[in-house]
Amino acid sequence: MSLQLVFDALALGGIYAVAALGIALIFGVMRLVNFAHGQFIACAVFALIVPSTDALAVLGLGALPAPVLVPLILLIGAGLAVLAEALVFRPMRNASPVALMVGSFALGVALQNLLLALYGGRPKAVSLWAELGQPVQIASASVPLLQLIVIAAVAVILAGLALMLRKSRLGLEMRAAAEDFTMARMLGVRSNRVISGAFALSGGLAAVVALVLVAQTGVADVRMGGQIMLVAFIATVVGGMGSLSGAVAAGLGIGAASALLQAGLPADARPFRDAFLYGGVILVLLFRPQGLFAPVGAKPRV
Amino acid sequence: MMAKLGVYDLAVRYGKLTAISDLSLAVAEGERVFVSGPNGAGKSSLLSAIAGAVRAAHGRIEMDGEILSGLGAEAIARRGLSMVPEGRRIFPGLTVLENLSVGTGMRRDRSAVADDLETVFTAFPILRERARSAAGALSGGQQQMLAIARALMTNPKVMMVDEPSLGLAPKVVDEVYDRLCQLQALRGLTLVIVEQSSARAARVGGRMLLMRGGRIVADGDATEFAARDLLAEAYFGGAA
Amino acid sequence: MTSQHRIRRRMTATTPVVLSLLLLLFVLAALSLGDRAMARMAAETLIRVTFVVGFWVFVGNSGVVSFGHAAFGCIGAYVSAWLTLRPEMKATLLPGLPEVIAAADWHVLPAAVAGGGVAALVALLTGAAILRLSGIAASIATFAFLAMVNTIWANWTSVTGGTSSVVGLERYVTPWVALGWAVAAILVAALHAASASGLALRAAREDEVAAAASGIDRYRHRLLAYTLSAFFCGSGGALMGHFIGVINPDGFYLGLTFLMLAMVVIGGVGSLSGAVVGVLALSIAVEGLVRLEKGISVGAVTFALPPGSQEIILAVAMILILIFRPAGLMAGREVMLPARWVAGRASRET
Repeated sequence: MSLQLVFDALALGGIYAVAALGIALIFGVMRLVNFAHGQFIACAVFALIVPSTDALAVLGLGALPAPVLVPLILLIGAGLAVLAEALVFRPMRNASPVALMVGSFALGVALQNLLLALYGGRPKAVSLWAELGQPVQIASASVPLLQLIVIAAVAVILAGLALMLRKSRLGLEMRAAAEDFTMARMLGVRSNRVISGAFALSGGLAAVVALVLVAQTGVADVRMGGQIMLVAFIATVVGGMGSLSGAVAAGLGIGAASALLQAGLPADARPFRDAFLYGGVILVLLFRPQGLFAPVGAKPRV
Repeated sequence: MMAKLGVYDLAVRYGKLTAISDLSLAVAEGERVFVSGPNGAGKSSLLSAIAGAVRAAHGRIEMDGEILSGLGAEAIARRGLSMVPEGRRIFPGLTVLENLSVGTGMRRDRSAVADDLETVFTAFPILRERARSAAGALSGGQQQMLAIARALMTNPKVMMVDEPSLGLAPKVVDEVYDRLCQLQALRGLTLVIVEQSSARAARVGGRMLLMRGGRIVADGDATEFAARDLLAEAYFGGAA
Repeated sequence: MTSQHRIRRRMTATTPVVLSLLLLLFVLAALSLGDRAMARMAAETLIRVTFVVGFWVFVGNSGVVSFGHAAFGCIGAYVSAWLTLRPEMKATLLPGLPEVIAAADWHVLPAAVAGGGVAALVALLTGAAILRLSGIAASIATFAFLAMVNTIWANWTSVTGGTSSVVGLERYVTPWVALGWAVAAILVAALHAASASGLALRAAREDEVAAAASGIDRYRHRLLAYTLSAFFCGSGGALMGHFIGVINPDGFYLGLTFLMLAMVVIGGVGSLSGAVVGVLALSIAVEGLVRLEKGISVGAVTFALPPGSQEIILAVAMILILIFRPAGLMAGREVMLPARWVAGRASRET
């Protein structure tokens, strides 16, 4: 396996892991399979450019220097998610997981079409941090600087999130609520605070994915969150629904598998790479419904 | 005198099933009340309704004259009513110390929290020993102690314990009750405990309520119940 | 007791009849307006009824939400296209088709049935795996199935034409053809719901533990409903293809999935009438919104909603229903003839 492939796998897997975490966090706390997560990502992408249906994208916030831009986009992602929770999911607090799931699907459709109305349907070229595309020589591999930054950023985010969950009061309450929500409430844990917190984190993570996607592809497309959300779903399922460490491990694993399949599959089978992935998830669900990383005796949480 | 905890005309239903109807109850400050009765009598429903985990279909619940019914579980906990539910419901993936900390988030008296931690660690030394290990790894008796200690860490005025003796060896039950009474005396707690055995309740001492079919059918001193049960046992060979 | 039970059963039996009459009235009303656009709208609505009633057979009876049924529509539409397109057209458009199919030149009706049949077969095979899962896991698996079918269809260019559309399908679907299929779907759905298998499936939905204790083999009943349901979604897909004349994998993806879900949720997933009412209500609303998007002229000024507002409004309506009327418009009730209309004969017979 070439060094180049290792970097590809790490960068792709890292992004999948971050996206999967965004879904697993919310599922863990309130048993909601959030089908709107892809649209959270898309909204954060389009927050970079000025609303207009013209083919040419004009950078709005995207023109700001990175130290301002990155926190701002993270805040926008978090804010959007918190708003969505307050408007859609809070009134549905007592609904079944199935109804919540259908509600999130509807929310996703609403957001996607809102973007469509504001920005038009055509993909737009967006040049964000183009200078990061230049390659860096590491041993035998020539790696784009961006890829290194992505890998480093993902590592920092994962470490930061782990620290936050272990050490902070909100992190403790979120973990307690994920294990037994009613009991946590009987100990005075505020459900609104915990759920809003989970949505804020999830939205922030969606914004991270958005920034990386734009920087990597140079495109803003209304549909761009959809594919990565699917992969993230698969990662959360494979990792065991609601298990954060499982979601991260599975995200990395799927990234590696994609990179390997892309390099290893015969050229005419490559377009079907994702079909193999989706088929794989059905197999995993069948044989290990509790996820790949949960102990064998563990009860499936879905 | 105003009751510490008052329940008036309470009804609890699950769909068409009535778990509790027309139940009224007053508990004085510092009192220890045992709730007994056969399975399905509504004991756990009563506690759950008071704690706000289950919504009452009808009736009013008050603590210190303040109306609790209609509030959510978190708001009730924040007013000083704490619950050790059936099956303990500790957080198995959290450490013992983390379990104890979940309920302290609402408290503003930071230094008192540290004192309380010392108190529960003194009462249950095993928890201090296992503070850093996962709560799920504790034995049943230790988990029961953790659940009680966790409830105490919220600094409650009223504490309700649902079947602390369930599934535990008699010797461990003795220990759990010893500590519970000791902490009650120390903190001036008002205690409501679900306990099947009138003999046990008599030994610990306190008032006893007998529930049947979602109502309270008898109310008196635990020792009287125990005597009656002994009598029943003598005549009928261990009913009740 | 017995006679009351009998009356109840008779009333239940009237549901598909009443629903079919309702659809007939809908067609007549649309056609009487004489507008070509109205006739098209009526046909499209009835195709959706076929589709959504098929979808309901599984979702309504099992309580498991499926995101995969649009894929059955995709399969049905392409199968019908493969079988009915002129062989010389297929030779240039879809060179990768196997010899037998490339030479096929079927009539449209058997092709639509075949479309449903192939979809049902695929459902039987994939459902055998997916339906072993419990609720939400099964839903996610159906989503993965949808994405899988879409990826294959979008990339298997020599057989499916890839993302570029397949054109030239014979446009034979009039409101009457669509009405025939819709009524067939309703009758089959009603028969299935009243069958032992349908009853067992709904019992298992209400109370999993009790149903398992009484020995209901939930998996087998789910698989039957899934297969049956895929048949009508498959033929619905075929109808849709031959209605528009052009098919494309993305026409059977998230948009259609959303529309089906919205119709069932808004009408109410608890009853067959809910599914049908949902389709009618939403189709009429969509038609109105589409016209608004195109713009209506008042004097010299044209008002138009921005594109996409149709979906936004539907999505918001769906969320509002989920919040305020989670059982949907019909709230699980069926439309049926009143008891006294059917009671007479019933009491004479007893």
